[in-house]
Parts: sequence; C-alpha cells; structure tokens
Amino acid sequence: MNNISVDINHLKKGEVNLGTSIMAVTFKDGVILGADSRTTTGSYIANRVTDKLTQIHDTIWCCRSGSAADTQAVADMVKHYLELYEAQHQQPPSTHTAASVFQEICYTNKDNLTAGIIVAGYDKKTGKGEVISVPLGGSMHKQEYAIAGSGSTFIYGYCDENYKKDMTQEETIQFMRYSLGQAIKWDGSSGGVIRMAVLTARGVERLIFYPEDYQKQ
Amino acid sequence: MPGLAFDNYQRNNYLTTKGYGSPTATSTGTTIVGCKFNGGVVIAADTRATSGDIVADKNCEKLHRLAPQIWCAGAGTAADTEMVTQLIGSNLELHSLHLNRKPRVVTAMTMLKQHLYKYQGHIGAYLIVAGTDPTGAHLFSIHAHGSTDVGQYQSLGSGSLAAMAVLESEWNEKLTKEEAMKLCSDAIEAGIWNDLGSGSNVDLCVMEVGQDAVLYRNYLTPNVREAKTRSYKFGRGTTAVLRESIYSLVEVQEEIVSFKSAAEAIEVDA
Amino acid sequence: MTSIGTGYDLSNSVFSPDGRNFQVEYAMKAVENGGTSIGIKCKDGVVLAVEKIITSKLLAPGKNKRIQTIDRHVGVAYSGLLPDGRHFVNRGRDEANSFKSLYKQQIPLPGLADRLGTYVQNYTCYNSVRPFGVSAIIGGVDEDGPHLYMIEPSGTYWGYTGAATGKGRQTAKSELEKLDLQNISARDAVKEAAKIIYAAHEDNKDKDFELEISWVSVSETAGKHQLVSDQLLQEAIQYATEEAESDEEMED
Repeated sequence: MNNISVDINHLKKGEVNLGTSIMAVTFKDGVILGADSRTTTGSYIANRVTDKLTQIHDTIWCCRSGSAADTQAVADMVKHYLELYEAQHQQPPSTHTAASVFQEICYTNKDNLTAGIIVAGYDKKTGKGEVISVPLGGSMHKQEYAIAGSGSTFIYGYCDENYKKDMTQEETIQFMRYSLGQAIKWDGSSGGVIRMAVLTARGVERLIFYPEDYQKQ
Repeated sequence: MPGLAFDNYQRNNYLTTKGYGSPTATSTGTTIVGCKFNGGVVIAADTRATSGDIVADKNCEKLHRLAPQIWCAGAGTAADTEMVTQLIGSNLELHSLHLNRKPRVVTAMTMLKQHLYKYQGHIGAYLIVAGTDPTGAHLFSIHAHGSTDVGQYQSLGSGSLAAMAVLESEWNEKLTKEEAMKLCSDAIEAGIWNDLGSGSNVDLCVMEVGQDAVLYRNYLTPNVREAKTRSYKFGRGTTAVLRESIYSLVEVQEEIVSFKSAAEAIEVDA
Repeated sequence: MTSIGTGYDLSNSVFSPDGRNFQVEYAMKAVENGGTSIGIKCKDGVVLAVEKIITSKLLAPGKNKRIQTIDRHVGVAYSGLLPDGRHFVNRGRDEANSFKSLYKQQIPLPGLADRLGTYVQNYTCYNSVRPFGVSAIIGGVDEDGPHLYMIEPSGTYWGYTGAATGKGRQTAKSELEKLDLQNISARDAVKEAAKIIYAAHEDNKDKDFELEISWVSVSETAGKHQLVSDQLLQEAIQYATEEAESDEEMED
C-alpha cells in the first residue's frame, strides 16, 4: 500500500483487558475451574467482580484471559456451535469437541485475537474431568491441570510441586484457592474475589472466596 | 457501499505518527451511571457535550430510548452513541414485532455488543444499558470494543471515577427507588463538579418492573445561569463618529432596447 | 404406472396428483437393475459386499473396485448408476473432512448419514437436476460402535442390522433375516456375505460376476475400513459355493 508499511498489530487503544489469573484442575470426581475477578482498562479497574468463568455447554465451561471483548465473542460463538452440534448429533459434545471449536476459531483468526482460553468439562460417559488449554497462537494442549494469564507466572513452581493426581474435591479447592491467592498477591493485574466452578456428576456448583478468605491460611 | 470505509485507516495512522493529527469528533466527555434497586433500575447522565476544550452543548441528552422499557446512557463519541442506539432500537422493535413479545434487556445488550465487536472499537460508543422485561430488571455496561459487564451498579465515561467513588461508598443491597435515584444523581453530580468533561444538569430515567419507564429530563439543574446583575449594553452614541466618507462603488446605467422592430419582421401569414 | 404419459414425470420438483414423484421412482428403477449390494452389521463391526457384474471379458480381474472408503472408519457399497455413486462418495468425503477440520475427530456415522441424506434429498427438489440413481449402503465404526445405514434416491435413510439393494435384494433380504445378526462375528459375517451374494446372483444368472467384500471391525481391522484379504476372500468364496452345492443336494 503506497510502500507505507505500518504496524497495526499493537494492542488496540483503550481495550478492556483481563490481566488475569485463571486455572482449571482435574480431580477424582471431575474438574474445577478457578479465576480472579479483575478487569482493567489501563490502570483503572473497570470491574472488580468480573465472572471470567463462562458456561459453554451443560458441563463444559471455560476460563477466559486476554481481551474481554474477544474472549466473550469467541465464547458466544462456541456456545452457538455446540448448541447446533447437540441438535444435529442427538448427543452432547465432548470437552474435546468444545476445545476443537475454540482452537479452530482462535487459530484461523490469530492475527485479530488476543485470547487465551482454558476449556474444562465433565464427561458423563467416562465420569472424568478434562482440561484442555488453548493459548494465544491457537494451539491445543490436553493437560491434567492448566494455569494461564499474567498472574500464572508466579505460581508455576508451586503448582508443579503441589498438584497431585486424583485429589478430593476439598483438597483441590484448597490447592486452587492458595495458588490463585498467591497469583493475586504477586500480580498487580489480578485481584478481587476468587470464583470457582465445580463440575462433577452432581452438575455445577459455584463458589466464591473473598480476600479475607484467601489471604490468610 | 454502505457502512464505514477503512480505506485510509493505515494511511491516517501513518500520518498521525508524522504529527498530522486526524480531525476529532465531538466527544461526550461524560459521566453516566446506572444502579439497580428492589423492583427496578435507574440510569442517569450529565448533559455536557464537548469538542476539545469547548463546551459544544450545555444541555444535551445522553439518555436514549431503545425500547419503551429499555433505556441506555451513552458516553464516548456523541454521533456513535446516537446512531448505534437508534439502529439497535429500530432492530429491537422489529425483533419484538416478529416474536410478538416485549424485547428483553439481554437481547438489546447482545445486539449492541455484536454490532460494536464487528467494528472492532471504531464505533466509539460506551454504553450503560438498563431496563425491565418479563424476566425482571437488568443492568449492563458495554465498551466500544464489544465487551460487556453485569453488575448492581455501573459507571462509565470520563467522570466514571468520580461517580464510582460515590457508588462504592454509598451503595447498599437494600436500596429503595428513591434512594437509588438519589444515589445516581449524587454520582452524576460528583462527575459534574469534579470532572472537566462533565457538567450542567442531571438527566435520570427510572424503570420499574411492570411499569412504564419514567424519564426525568433535567432532574437536577445545579448550574442555572445567574441573571446578570448589571447591563452590559452599550448606549447609542457610545462610540464617537470621527469621520464619514461615502463611496459610490457601482455606476448604474440605463438603456432602453426596443424589441418591436424585430417582432414586426416575422411574417405570420404566408 | 397408470399416470405415465400425463406429464407429471417430466420434472423433478413436481408431484403427480396422487402425491408421487416419478423422477425419484425412475431413479429407484435404475437401482433395481444394478448388481446386488449388501451390508451386515455384526457384533463389533460392519461387512459390505457387492456382486460386481462383469460387462466385458477384457476387464482386468480384481481391478475396478466397487466398494469405496469415505473416511478411514467408513465404507460404502452402492447399486445403480456407478458415476452417481462416485459423486456421492466424493460428497461423503467432503463432509467427513469438514467435520474433522472443525471438531478434530472422526465424524460419527449417524451424523454422516444425516448429511448425505440431506444432500441426496436436495437433488429431488429442483428441475435443473435429476435424483441420484443409487442406493448406497454406508457402514462403519465410531465411538458408539458399529453402524449400518442405507440411503435411497429420495434421500430417505434408515439404520439397519442387515441391508440389501440392487437386482437380487429380495433373495438377499430373506437370507439376511436367517442370520443371528446380534451375535455374528465379523469373520463369520464375511463368509455369510459371500454366500448371500452367490445366492442373490441366481437372479442374474446369465451374467458373470466378481465378488467384492470389505469390512470395518474393532477386533479385525482396528476400526479401519478395508477390503478383506485375498485369503479370507477365497475362504469365503469356497464356503459360499460349498453351501450352495449342499443346498442343492438337499433340494434333490
């Protein structure tokens, strides 16, 4: 274009960001998602009680990080796709299917998206929880647990050392509450309350932990 | 082609980096808020419109009607909040005619966010959407890039920090309608007094479940212009006439042309 | 066919006054003249077999395969106009591919049958096209186990435990009904399939034919669709011809 090349790949001005701490952990009875609740525009906290855990299907949820607008739009699209999937195939989509749709959208639009997503779901057929992370470039990684967002850098070591296979629900909540508590403590872009979603055979259970709950212990 | 053209987007960005700024749109340096109460929701806005550091309108309207019971307060680019609000309001009416149902607040919010997301922030509309529908009272905020938030109370615009300070300190879970109205107008007043971009009056709209929305245009007018105590009119003859000279710049000439001879020359009968 | 010649059979997308679509019925006639195709759903898989009519002595034996693969886990056998069948299979491959690129897993058979059924149905709606001149039997294994479907020129598709189409379908169907399809192994189903095709060929005795058999099975082919080995094919043919002879003896 007129030999003028301009880098337009910078962060969109004034965009709302989810400087974030998010994680999802499989355990004995299923999977638990967790997130902080801070949304920022520059140095201003646009929302201190955000819900970054979004339902995609009956027992498939996701943790969103990156641009709020992008991740909300992508989550809405996937939600729509999975609704169609269930109608056409007369059976609910698997967590893997949900993650695949996320991956397809995030990869094909990678130049225009700032979205890091962790997909987690409980599968009735296998009775197991599953965690698949879809980071920035649009790749797809099945994991036993996943952490992401700006705050996650501070808790890689802790999580690696303290995650155990097949923990109980109580152990897992404890583990996540402390991990996210530390992430919030050291990351300026994370904060507010800790929200969780517990996905098991019993369905979905929402939890909330206030600063006074997670700061001590 | 209808819609926005982005042909010069890259060039304009390039020129901006070279120091040639692009023209600015009238921006509603604004304070807008919304707050839920038991059985309904209130939104409010100031009435100052600015263009640069000039007050363009002292009593503009920032509260827009999307549907009879869904209203929307707008901050950001004045033209964009106005147009996007009219467009979605129109589509929302068609939608409710199509379904033969009252429109829902989430529907309005979803239509707005999808429209704004499509334009990737180029439509500079920051909105607080509120209203009542068969599912109850709702309050959302929408940013220009298409992200949305849910909450019991919201504030947006350049005065949102001042307003949020009031909301955060005064809000409680058991507000009555009157208390919510007071809280919202107090929050807007904080913007009017403490934010340079906000000023003049407070507009307010109350939406109660199962009732018509009520718009209080100029709910507060804390900036009524005082009558001038003195007259600044100059009396006739205040300015002395020192010299008078009159020039005739046009010369008028009259010449009478007769067409009679030409008309006679035409042979009518063969 | 008393309504023939009234003009209602000249176009697709036109019903006759008694509610029939003649173009579709003519397409089914084309199928009824084709070589017999059958499908058997067994315990952990599906077996497909066709009676391949030899139209010329010069055709190379064992070449010109009639059974095709739609995806690694799905096979298809059809009777009727062969070029129509090949186009149908191409569409099946496109559908399987688009599913895989979006969901990163192989298409479930009910989903594939539904998409193909819809595609075939579309060819009964417009007067610029004609219906497919094939009945296709698609079989395969997915997460939920083995599936067998047959799609007809109208776009109708049903799930079967045993399916037959083509000239010898009546004989084939009555033979299929005799089998214990709930408990039959894939290996036994291959032999029975051979026997059924040989039996069905009695309806088409004046022409030579070649037997083609494929299978998809969890235990035998690890869920992949492939032609049976030459050795197994020969065993099956031997079984089929011996059975035919003993049946004849019993008749005597």
